[in-house]
Formats: sequence, structure tokens, C-alpha cells
Amino acid sequence: MLEELKAFKKLGVRHILLQILNFATVIASGLMIWKGLGVLTNSESPIVVVLSGSMEPAFYRGDILFLTNPSNQRYKTGDITVYKIPGAEIPIVHRVLETHDVSPKKQASTRSKSLVPHQRLLTKGDNNYVDDIELYQGLDWLERKHIVGKVRGFLPYVGYVTIAMNDFPQLKYALLGTLGLLALIQRE
Amino acid sequence: MARPRNTQQINGTQSSLAKGRATRTPSPETERPTGPLSIVVPISERDTVKVNHYNSTELKNACDDAVKRYLSRPELFKQIHLHTDVRLALGWLSVFVAAGTALYGYKIEFEKSKTVVSIGLVVYILLTTLQTLYSYFVESHTIFEGKRKSLSKRIITERIHIDSTTIPVSKSPLTTSVSPSNSPSYLLTVSYVRSTNGGKSLLAKGRAKAAQTYSAFFDETGTMDQEVFERWVGELVESSMDGKLA
Repeated sequence: MLEELKAFKKLGVRHILLQILNFATVIASGLMIWKGLGVLTNSESPIVVVLSGSMEPAFYRGDILFLTNPSNQRYKTGDITVYKIPGAEIPIVHRVLETHDVSPKKQASTRSKSLVPHQRLLTKGDNNYVDDIELYQGLDWLERKHIVGKVRGFLPYVGYVTIAMNDFPQLKYALLGTLGLLALIQRE
Repeated sequence: MARPRNTQQINGTQSSLAKGRATRTPSPETERPTGPLSIVVPISERDTVKVNHYNSTELKNACDDAVKRYLSRPELFKQIHLHTDVRLALGWLSVFVAAGTALYGYKIEFEKSKTVVSIGLVVYILLTTLQTLYSYFVESHTIFEGKRKSLSKRIITERIHIDSTTIPVSKSPLTTSVSPSNSPSYLLTVSYVRSTNGGKSLLAKGRAKAAQTYSAFFDETGTMDQEVFERWVGELVESSMDGKLA
């Protein structure tokens, strides 16, 4: 115990604070890049992993999807969207089958002139036989507020890493632990 | 443990050396305060320094640490931690801003949280830019800044500032082998000011610069010969304390 205290004193408080700062900065910049991406794309979660095979042969399980959610563009039939039903845990990626525009009724404010916020959507997975009505948990259609984003691009296979880390949490902790150790013992 | 000084390497005046430190009785202004060479480090207090001698960053860091240890011993300079403190302050502030922003974005629903998260992002980017600019322009190559106050009739304040850089090996097709003669060099720049009267009367000002190959300080296993290094640094610092403007 005395030996460790002596080593600590020799190192100095500043040195320890600097080392911890290195580690904390890595995490902070990762968080900020994620949040920045979210703000830029106007999407809650701009990068998602495909978990089911309901969009085959377009997307397979383990693909990574890149999303944006342009607030002033209408979603059209044929767009591939990721949406989240309130009450359901995981978002679903399916294709828009039908869109309906509802005109705003009796609204005193004239802010939302476009019909975009008032779109109603029906979706269906390419690989499914029926549309998603069953998945909507009571709703008859999706509204824009349920949509996480529209798929702009994808990367095949890379998402398996995330799937593996979710299925085996030890992997996640092992990875984080290794990164943390590397950051702490390395010098600037 | 007193080491005989190699007087040919010091370009100071012979008379000041001949006086010796223990028997000096000149007036306070001409007396040079204790230099680092006169304070000896007992062997028992030394830890071995061993680095990967193929990595010039590690070599530089080891030398920088040795300079800091050497000059901040008791009776010598007290390190000014301003640059470290600014880096710590800006760094930790940006970490807290990032954490706060992320937490807010996590707790509050996305659409409502967008404005606050954007503000947090801008503040974070600002702080990170400030940090980078500070370390590039203000701190640049500084490795040590020290201060010492001594009292001999008047309060004498000394300030020393040390920069260090690595000079890489000049590339030529004939010298592609790695050997001690082909090693990168360590360049130290020392600037020194001695003043009194609260900084208003200047007593001495000196600047010294010297480069030495890393192979002079590190052997084939990467162990640092601290005594050789410290002697080199000590001579450089004392030559700047003598008021030379190299």
C-alpha cells in the first residue's frame, strides 16, 4: 500500500488526470460524432443494423444501413424506411407501400404549409406476404413521427460485429476494456 | 560524488569558475545562482529508464521527462504548470459538455432535444478547436517552464523556458542502415532570464541551443544513460544562465 502511494505521488496528480482525460476524450469524441451525425441527418439513429430477413434479397441480416430523415421531403412509395412503433423495442426496416396525405384541419397557425408532416404511410417487407398492419400494434397507419429515417446506402456483412456483441455481451465488455487499457497506458 | 568539470566545454569566464561555489563571496548581482550541475543526484534515487530505441517519439519523451525531473529537483527550478493546467481545464470541460449533451439527448425525445444537442455540439467543437490552437501556437515545442526565487539582499527571480524537438536523420540513398551514427538528434533550446525588483531590473538573459544524437544517450538495449544526459543538459542550462545569447 505504501509502495503504491509512493508511486502515485511520484507520478503526480496532473499526470493521472491527464491519462484519465485521454481516455475520457476518446469516449466524448465518439459520443459527439454520433450525436452530430444524428443532428445532421435529422435522424434519431442514422446507422442501424438489419436484424431480420424480411427485406431479402435487398438487405440481409447483418447489413448496415445509413439513414437520413429530411423533414421537408415527402416519403414516396418505394422508399425503404426504418420506423419505430411506440411500445415496440426494436425499429423495423420495410418498404413504403402506400402514402396518404391528410390536409391539416382547423389549424390556426400557418407554419406547416406543406403536407409533409401529415403523411400517413403503410409499409411492407419485401420478403413478407402481408403488409405491416399486424406490426402497428393497433395503429392503422404510420405517421412521420414514427419514422427514424429513409435508407440512403448500405454496407453488407459489417453489422455482424454488432449482432455478435449484442448476443454475447462479454465481447462488448472485452472490447471496451481493451480500448480503455490501451488509451490509459499509452503516452500522447 | 563531485564530478570534475570539463572547463574547456564551458565558454564562461575562467575567473567565475575558479571561484568555486562554496567559496564565492561577490556582490549578489554578479553571483550566479546555483546551476543544475552542482546538485548531484544520488544513485539510489535513480530509476532505470528503458525505451524502444527504434521509436523516436519514445526517445524524445524519455529525454523530455529526464529534463523535467532534472530541473525540478529541490533547490532548482519550480515547474510552471500553466500549459498542462490549460490543457486539463479545456479537456475536462469539453468532456463534461459532451457527457451532458449526450445525456440530454438520451433522456429527452429526439425532436425536442435537437436544439440543445446542437448547441452542445457547437460548444464542444469550439472547445476542441481552442485546445488544438493553444497546443499548436502557444505551447508548441515547450517541454519545461520553471521559476526560481532566491533571496540574497534582493529577491532574485529567474525564469527558464525549454523547447525540444527531434531532428530526423537526413535521408540519403547511401545511408539507409540503422546504426548509432545514423540516429536522429535531440535539439534543446533553453532561454533564461534573471531579474530582480519584481521583474523590472534585468540581471541576466541567456539563450542556448544544442543538439545531440539520441545514440549518445541510449545504448543498444534502449537503456538511457541518465548521467551523461544530465551532464549535457546541465552544461547547456548553465551556459544560458551565464548570460550567453547564442
